[in-house]
Amino acid sequence: MHHLVKARWALAAFTALFLIFLYGPFVVMGILSFQQGPEGGPQFPIIEWSTYWYEHVVGIAPASRIAPLPVGEALIRSLTLAFATMIVSTILGTMTAQAFRTKFKGSGFVFYLVVLGMMVPGVLLGLGMSLVAHQFGIDRNWWSTAFVLHVVYTFPFAFLVMLAIFNRFDSSVEEASLALGVSPRRTFQKVTFPIIFPGILSAMLFAFTLSYDEFPRTLFTGGSEVTMPLAIYGTFSVEIHPNLFAFGVLTTLFSFALLSVYAILMGLSARRLSVRSTGIQEDAA
Amino acid sequence: MTLNSNDRNADQRSYFERFSHYYLLVPGVTWMALFLIVPLLMMVYVSFWTQTTFAIHSELTTKSWVTFFSSETYFGALLRTIRIWLTVLFFTFLLGYPVALYIGLFVRSKTIQTVLLVACVIPFWTSFLIRVLAWRPMLGKEGAVNLVLQKLGIISQPIEVLLFTELAVVIGMVQIYVVFMVGPIAFMLSRIDGSLLEAARDIGAKPFTTFRKIIFPLSLPGVTVGAIFVSVMVLGEFATASALSGRKVNMLGNIIVTQVGSLKWAFAAVIGVVLTIVIAIIITALLRLVNLREEL
Repeated sequence: MHHLVKARWALAAFTALFLIFLYGPFVVMGILSFQQGPEGGPQFPIIEWSTYWYEHVVGIAPASRIAPLPVGEALIRSLTLAFATMIVSTILGTMTAQAFRTKFKGSGFVFYLVVLGMMVPGVLLGLGMSLVAHQFGIDRNWWSTAFVLHVVYTFPFAFLVMLAIFNRFDSSVEEASLALGVSPRRTFQKVTFPIIFPGILSAMLFAFTLSYDEFPRTLFTGGSEVTMPLAIYGTFSVEIHPNLFAFGVLTTLFSFALLSVYAILMGLSARRLSVRSTGIQEDAA
Repeated sequence: MTLNSNDRNADQRSYFERFSHYYLLVPGVTWMALFLIVPLLMMVYVSFWTQTTFAIHSELTTKSWVTFFSSETYFGALLRTIRIWLTVLFFTFLLGYPVALYIGLFVRSKTIQTVLLVACVIPFWTSFLIRVLAWRPMLGKEGAVNLVLQKLGIISQPIEVLLFTELAVVIGMVQIYVVFMVGPIAFMLSRIDGSLLEAARDIGAKPFTTFRKIIFPLSLPGVTVGAIFVSVMVLGEFATASALSGRKVNMLGNIIVTQVGSLKWAFAAVIGVVLTIVIAIIITALLRLVNLREEL
């Protein structure tokens, strides 16, 4: 037992160091985002604390030689793309997972076909898709060729989440509802959907964030109108400035906002579930 | 009459039940066939096309393949990619396992467990590319790491090999991908039945023996799943390599990007196929160790 206590402390200390390693760059980035501008570079020491780079990102800083990030257009494109990807991949994921509730021939093949979508590195898929587009003379756009690849990437995540949900799903509730004469459609609305709703939310969250941050697939297939990650990648070749760090901090805050909405919806759905379960009795009667 | 219609209803339902899942599968499978399988097959096909300076045409040749294997640069990139992959995999395991052990086995409170796991995931709310770029002010000659080490008096001269080297690429990748190792292992460890460990202690097993004989074997599926995630992502990387090495360290992914940029489609396709084969071999080997479907 004495050994275990020691081991526990050693592991706790290791985990603490690990978290420092994980957060270190992020903290440094946060500090440097308050670098003086526009002369201050993305390194220490801090010449003078300022919010210049935040103003630069949102476009209210005085003009300087440093080109502003194309926040407006690129961000709207990224959000639109992520939203569309989220809808399509969640629908596909739910449908496919629903099909997997019955045992069928070739289920192993379909499983691996879908999972392959998240396994194949983006650079390969992007290359393959741009070859196809090149060969058949299809224009490459963020809303066409890039969009279909985003779904290929996020659909497997949605599928796995829904599969896990359906695995723990007690189908006798559904059968009971059907046996009581409630129509399949109404059963889905009143029984199945509320139960799988948390799963659907998680699948949507996965799909949205993955697509929003997706980059190698978009690089090859996105065409000339850039999404946000492509705009950031564009700055790799030239000098980087602290405006990227300010933007990083802002996007992280945005992600937190998104996560809070998700948490609130999860909480609401848990409450609604307990309320809803009383309503179905009227349907059955 | 009633009996008859009941029969027909039953027939209809069983017909629907027997085939409904096929209808449900059609959209997903079609999507994957068109936008996943077709592009990959196209890549294999194009790798045998004839490459001229700015165009490709569909005369079949193995010329691009010969160029790949006879070129020091390209074959070297293959070896470098494998070397970086092995190094990153090793360090993600080395750093990730103890953390997973702590979170999954030693932390008893579910709340603290969740808090720690969420703490691991939070960095993912920052854009991938910005996370990569954040390593530049960390590792540079006047970067945070050098500053701290100098302040502490550990070094007198700044370490210059930290940035724009293969080391920088490895450090960056380990930090970005280590969480994919921690997650699955912690998950497997948290499923271990506590009474199993008590039983081991009761029959007099030393802690290390318990770890070697019970805990580690039971966590292996998690290690495999983590290794698959890390491998797939590292092998397909190019952004981290180009950002943290100043384009000096070229992995296969970097060469694909450059070749596509200069419209060398056939050549890019060859490298794509090579990369696919490497990944397929590694994944198949890892899947031998664990059945992914059963672990879900």
